[in-house]
Amino acid sequence: MNIITLVKQAPDTTQLSGSLDGLKLLAEGAPRVLNPWDEYALETALQLVEAHGGSVTALMVGPAAATETLRTALAMGANQAVLVDDPALAAADTLATARTLAAAIGKLAPFDLIIGGRAGIEGNTGATAIQTAALLNLPLVSYVAALKTVDPAARTLTAVRLLDNERQIVETPLPALLTVVKEINEPRFPTFMQLRKAKKATIPTWNLADIGLTAAEVAPQVSWLAELPPAGQARLELIEGSPAQAAAQLVERLSKQQII
Amino acid sequence: MLTPPEKILFAIAVLISLYFTYHSFAKMAAVIGRGAGRLNLDDLPRRLGAGLVALVGQGNILRRRPVTSLFHWAVAWGFLLYVIVNLADVLQAYLPGFRFLGNTPLGGPYRFVVDLASVMILLGVVFFLLRRFVAAAPALSFRPNVMLHPAAQQGIRHDSLLVGLFILGHVGFRFLGESFLIAHESGDPWQPLAGAVASLWSGLATTQLLIGWHIFWWLALGLILLFIPYFPYSKHAHLFMGPFNYMSRPPRPSPGALPAIDFEDESLEQFGATVLTDLHRTHLVDAFACIMCNRCQDACPAYLTGKELSPSALEVNKRFFIKQNFTGLADGAADETPLLEFALSESALWACLACGACIDVCPVGNEPMFDILDIRRSQVLMESQFPAELRGAFTGLERNGNPWQVAGDRLAWTEPLDFAVPTVEDNPDYEVLYWVGCAGAFDSDAQRTARAIATLLHAAGVNFAVLGNDESCTGDMARRAGNEYLFFEMAQANIEILTEAKAHQRRIVTGCPHCLHTLGQEYGALGGHFTVLHHTQLISELVGAGRLKLTGGAQEAITFHDPCYLGRHNGEFDAPRELLSAAGLALNEMPRHRQNAFCCGGGGAQVWKEEEPGQAAVSASRYAEAESTGAATLAVGCPFCARMLSDAGQSLPVRDVAELVANRIA
Ligand code: SF4
Ligand code: SF4
Repeated sequence: MNIITLVKQAPDTTQLSGSLDGLKLLAEGAPRVLNPWDEYALETALQLVEAHGGSVTALMVGPAAATETLRTALAMGANQAVLVDDPALAAADTLATARTLAAAIGKLAPFDLIIGGRAGIEGNTGATAIQTAALLNLPLVSYVAALKTVDPAARTLTAVRLLDNERQIVETPLPALLTVVKEINEPRFPTFMQLRKAKKATIPTWNLADIGLTAAEVAPQVSWLAELPPAGQARLELIEGSPAQAAAQLVERLSKQQII
Repeated sequence: MLTPPEKILFAIAVLISLYFTYHSFAKMAAVIGRGAGRLNLDDLPRRLGAGLVALVGQGNILRRRPVTSLFHWAVAWGFLLYVIVNLADVLQAYLPGFRFLGNTPLGGPYRFVVDLASVMILLGVVFFLLRRFVAAAPALSFRPNVMLHPAAQQGIRHDSLLVGLFILGHVGFRFLGESFLIAHESGDPWQPLAGAVASLWSGLATTQLLIGWHIFWWLALGLILLFIPYFPYSKHAHLFMGPFNYMSRPPRPSPGALPAIDFEDESLEQFGATVLTDLHRTHLVDAFACIMCNRCQDACPAYLTGKELSPSALEVNKRFFIKQNFTGLADGAADETPLLEFALSESALWACLACGACIDVCPVGNEPMFDILDIRRSQVLMESQFPAELRGAFTGLERNGNPWQVAGDRLAWTEPLDFAVPTVEDNPDYEVLYWVGCAGAFDSDAQRTARAIATLLHAAGVNFAVLGNDESCTGDMARRAGNEYLFFEMAQANIEILTEAKAHQRRIVTGCPHCLHTLGQEYGALGGHFTVLHHTQLISELVGAGRLKLTGGAQEAITFHDPCYLGRHNGEFDAPRELLSAAGLALNEMPRHRQNAFCCGGGGAQVWKEEEPGQAAVSASRYAEAESTGAATLAVGCPFCARMLSDAGQSLPVRDVAELVANRIA
């Protein structure tokens, strides 16, 4: 199977705090990491290739500095990585990014599967993958929490989608585009040998012309002004009583609400 | 005197024995040569001295198991003596009329000592055989959940029996031979014991006595010729491999300081140990030196709480693996069996607390802990196989510079203080750099300790500074968990920051023994040479110099838990005790204290993972021991000991020495 994983660079959210939101983090030049959701996508692709053969390509739209993040994908085991970087993409919105991805995927074809994380951790729109699927005319299965069967010969795949209130089992022909949630697996930790190999790998960078697009086609329409904490603050409630009583009550309430 | 044909025969026998001896020793050397790194044979005279001191002094043997050790001492000294005795016996058999030391004033005493030593050796060996085979001493067996090489169980018994019978035979036959000689020469007042046996032969004719002597001479010395080539196959090799181990061990700044890996060396393909021959040569010597006494197992907190780990089983398994593949390994055949298939189980691997107790007690200088941490390295760096819980801590180190994965102000702990804690930026001319450590910065209990340390430094007028948010984890946790690359990166970054802050020209004090160890003992190999003190060392120095006055206070009973990385690993046992007593606290020692202290359960990156399955939690076992002293408070000197032990129970408050002392500033 030839699988393309859509990855992006994200601010290191472990640095997030009350006074430091994602946009500020980016502006302050906080350390960038591989978007955590995309690690699950990559892991899914790697496991499929381990089981069925083939190769994994990590594809990213981002600035030149993002190559370092792509190396993480290589270290995890992607066979190749491609960066699409163009000055015209500096303020790209999700549609512009999706157009770029679709064009780059066209250049990487043929493929059997495209997998992305459920969203980017800082923008959290979850739209780019969906738009990419639409542009490529591919079936989309989002929020995949498990793959039940994958049959490269029959070119079908059955997946479990994890939604807020239900789980759905869906079947799709291949090629298709999946987005995955973190329940799907436990991403691997690269070995030192892989890190070393990834450090030395050459990562091709394509500009818009390389993938047959013009700056006008990727002009942004949506721009971000601020990113704020949610308006409705969480309701704080103190459970009174001795530690033992309070703990018992907490456990009861949590299990009633099926949190545990 | 031997007859001329006997002399020729014996000479031939010696040559044959030497031939086989050469071969078996060359084989052993070839196997050891398959290991990584090199043995340290520089500065040989001094090293020979170290080997000899170990052999003659028997220092580390006598520390535990007093009765057994005494017998061992007798056997070992007797054996050393027997090297001379055998040579003398051969000379006497070849040279007409020659008697070793003959009629010199030393002749008699020599025979007297040998007479006595022979019987002592015989008794000692009988004691050992009874202990192993009749009493089936539990100290000599392994719990069934410990991985043991299939050949080991029987193998150890056979080997022990063979060695025991050999010594009994060799010394016994020689003793009998001597008795015939005494009877033949009609008595020797210097050999009362062999003389007593000689009286049994009073009825025999002179020729018969001589024949008796001939037979037993051949039996005694023939056994030696048979046995010497067998040495490398037997655990009896410990006789010289033990001293050789002391002699050839690479220099270590402290007993548990791990060797560094040069990650910039592109030619390296193997990181850590996957198979036996990836281990350092000195750790292959360990396998030959191990006498299978299980003293390390007796001291191992993981084994004692029912985990799958036994450091002695590890050495025994290495040894039997070598024994089974001796020729192949010596001839350079591929070594492909992973250590995790025969040396120890995966759970055993992750059960080690890196406490160093096994290294500390081993009478032949073995270092099982190094193998374990080396295998962890390969599991993390080559296989990416490690307990899932460690991943969070690794990510925390990578991204936040602390294993808690918290992004926060490293100076938050100073807020409640009524004086300012200067950073290096505020106070570039500081004398002492206070390295707070991640625990001091982020763990609420350790923050209290950090405040106590700062208060004490402030009260004593010490000109100190902290690094504040420039500080990050020393990487200790990553290193003990096998993530050497992460350690390497953290260490390099810290060395740069410390050097920029000129800490290499001043002194560093820290409240965490793990920081003490990594900064002080392990950064050196990566180019960072720092003078680092534990807070109890500096504070006790300040008290001694009169810069800090303490109130005596009520004689409250207290017990002190020695942190492994302050005590065993860094040799400091006195400073915390002196401080406690200066603060007017009465120390009730736990049964296992100082050198023999039992880990809190947190070492070896265990704080960051679930404890491996076993019968008890290490921390609970230690806590119960502390309770048994009847002390009102359990004093500690490490934030991780504090965390482990205070989570283990409620009856006994756990407090850092610094806090206890800071409460008693006059
Ligand atoms: S270092 Fe401690 S826990 Fe590890 S094997 Fe040795 S004695 Fe056991
Ligand atoms: S490693 Fe040392 S302490 Fe452990 S069994 Fe072998 S000789 Fe004894």
